[in-house]
Amino acid sequence: MAAQSAPAAEPLPPPRSEVGVIGWLHANLFNTWYNGVLTVISLAALFLALGFALKWAFMSADWIVVVKLGGRFIIGPYNTEVACPGQNCFWRPQVSLLMVIFLTGMAWGLSGNRTARNIALLFAGVASAFAFLPYSLEAMGWDVRLLLLANLPAVAAGWAVSRYTPLGNGVRIALLGGLVFLLILALLRGLPGTPWLPSVSVIYWGGLMLNLILAVSGITLSLPIGIALALGRRSELPVVKALCVAFIEVFRGVPLITLLFMSQVLVPLAFPEDFPQNSLFRAGVVITLFSSAYMAENVRGGLQSLHFGQAEAARALGLAGWQTTLLISLPQALRNVIPAIVGQFIGLFKDTSLVYIIGMLDMVAIGRTFIQGNPEFLVNARETFVFLALVFWIFTYGMSYISGKVEEHLGVGQR
Amino acid sequence: MANTKMEDIIICREVHKWFGSFHALRGVSTRVKQGEVVVILGPSGSGKSTFIRTINRLEQHQRGDIIVNGVELSGDVRNIDAVRREVGMVFQSFNLFPHLTVMQNITLAPTKVRKWTRDQAEAVAMELLTRVGIPEQAGKFPAELSGGQQQRVAIARALAMQPRIMLFDEPTSALDPEMIREVLDVMRELAGSGMTMLAVSHEIGFAREVADRVIMFDEGVIIEEATPDNFFNNPQHERAQLFLSQILS
Repeated sequence: MAAQSAPAAEPLPPPRSEVGVIGWLHANLFNTWYNGVLTVISLAALFLALGFALKWAFMSADWIVVVKLGGRFIIGPYNTEVACPGQNCFWRPQVSLLMVIFLTGMAWGLSGNRTARNIALLFAGVASAFAFLPYSLEAMGWDVRLLLLANLPAVAAGWAVSRYTPLGNGVRIALLGGLVFLLILALLRGLPGTPWLPSVSVIYWGGLMLNLILAVSGITLSLPIGIALALGRRSELPVVKALCVAFIEVFRGVPLITLLFMSQVLVPLAFPEDFPQNSLFRAGVVITLFSSAYMAENVRGGLQSLHFGQAEAARALGLAGWQTTLLISLPQALRNVIPAIVGQFIGLFKDTSLVYIIGMLDMVAIGRTFIQGNPEFLVNARETFVFLALVFWIFTYGMSYISGKVEEHLGVGQR
Repeated sequence: MANTKMEDIIICREVHKWFGSFHALRGVSTRVKQGEVVVILGPSGSGKSTFIRTINRLEQHQRGDIIVNGVELSGDVRNIDAVRREVGMVFQSFNLFPHLTVMQNITLAPTKVRKWTRDQAEAVAMELLTRVGIPEQAGKFPAELSGGQQQRVAIARALAMQPRIMLFDEPTSALDPEMIREVLDVMRELAGSGMTMLAVSHEIGFAREVADRVIMFDEGVIIEEATPDNFFNNPQHERAQLFLSQILS
């Protein structure tokens, strides 16, 4: 039989024009004459723009303004005489940072993968590298530098704790994370009346620290609230559904700036005058609720993308309605809308800058007020904002990168 | 087949179902004995799928009675859950959970509903995967399997709850021809083991060989109910003759 049948066609190597650098260039950049022209024009434009940018960044730009901004950019007016009279309060944000880095180390120890390791080491590395900033010892003392250097042992300690103690499990680390966040808030706020931990009013919290506090609380709370709202909107109970729809439409329909103003102007009216007011808390709540409304619609989109057969199969197996939602619908729905969810997180992080309109000094406001308050730096506004943009970009790109890795891990689009 | 118990495990009396104003089931009455294998045929839109979906309450009937395994299906959620625990279902589009592995798909309901331990559920799952012929696929995700393999996993998933009744809703209609056989082989083996089965299927060979009874639906009613021999060789109803001539040609 074998001798009579035609020989099987040998697999041939692909034609030369399809492989290698030349093949790639030909296939992607020069496959037609007009693509060739476009490629040349684009390259020329790219070189011009890049050349201009690099020349500005390294020749004409004066980055000294960033150096002068210094710690103010990170913590705002937190450690000024008016915020923390007669004391040095720098160590409180620094210890907070240490705790965060410790948690990052724990996350690395838990997951044990390369992405987590890189992120943890990058965080700890950058934080401790600040210890070597070329400030004079008066501007940046040994104590500050040592606490910054301590970030390296902190990340290692976090890693070891989650590796070798029973704390190393996802739920426990998440709970610990929430606990640490509250602890940080308490530490920064201080205890009124104590000499060793004087209270620092939230109006002096500022800089990147403020952006991060608002972003972390907003991100971690808006996802669960958004999920609850999305489920509520799909509920068969008319009252629940109506309440969720009303909440979503109101918070989605009003600009965040307006909500922030309202929170400062209207909310205090609802409380007695001597009721303790906290502008940071109100801003955090508004940002969280605003983001939750969008999150709810993202999640609802994910739920609607599921084939009805999924829930049907789960019900047919005898799973209860809540089990079907929790084990079948939500995991798939969330997986399908990771890009939208992370987009919302990124938007939220950037929106934290809007708190400047209610008088809080986030990092953008710090940069702006610094320039306005020091006229000799007015010419360096460009450098300041480029630097701020870069900091925002590093954080948002980080979120984007992590979400990409999560998608890869969950096999989005593959299965 | 070889079953000697003659207890009616499914009783349907004058079942009616409307989708909006469309009258999908128009008074369906039948009984299924324990261990019986019933194949349901009929043109599309005749109500056959709707009918078997009312048996585990994926569709709610609006008039008449359905009693499954001694439990009457009504609005009572506990009754519905009790029935679903005892009735396994296999769908045309498999409906495996794509975010879970084959093993997790099978062990999910036994651990969450029957409260078995994981070890116990996994042992049963491996047994079932061996029974349907794909023990080596346990760690894979559904999307990594062929259609025939997916449907066999779906059968194993339903069997893991150790149901007394299995419903099949066109289990081979979405499969490539070369994969139909492997699924029918599993169903054949299952029928031989004494499982009570209701299958909506147009696999005539399977019906002839395995079924104890064939039911033909048309326009929401049962128009013919007979043994496979009688049904295929000597259909009484005009519509049944027409239908058979169409699918057998």
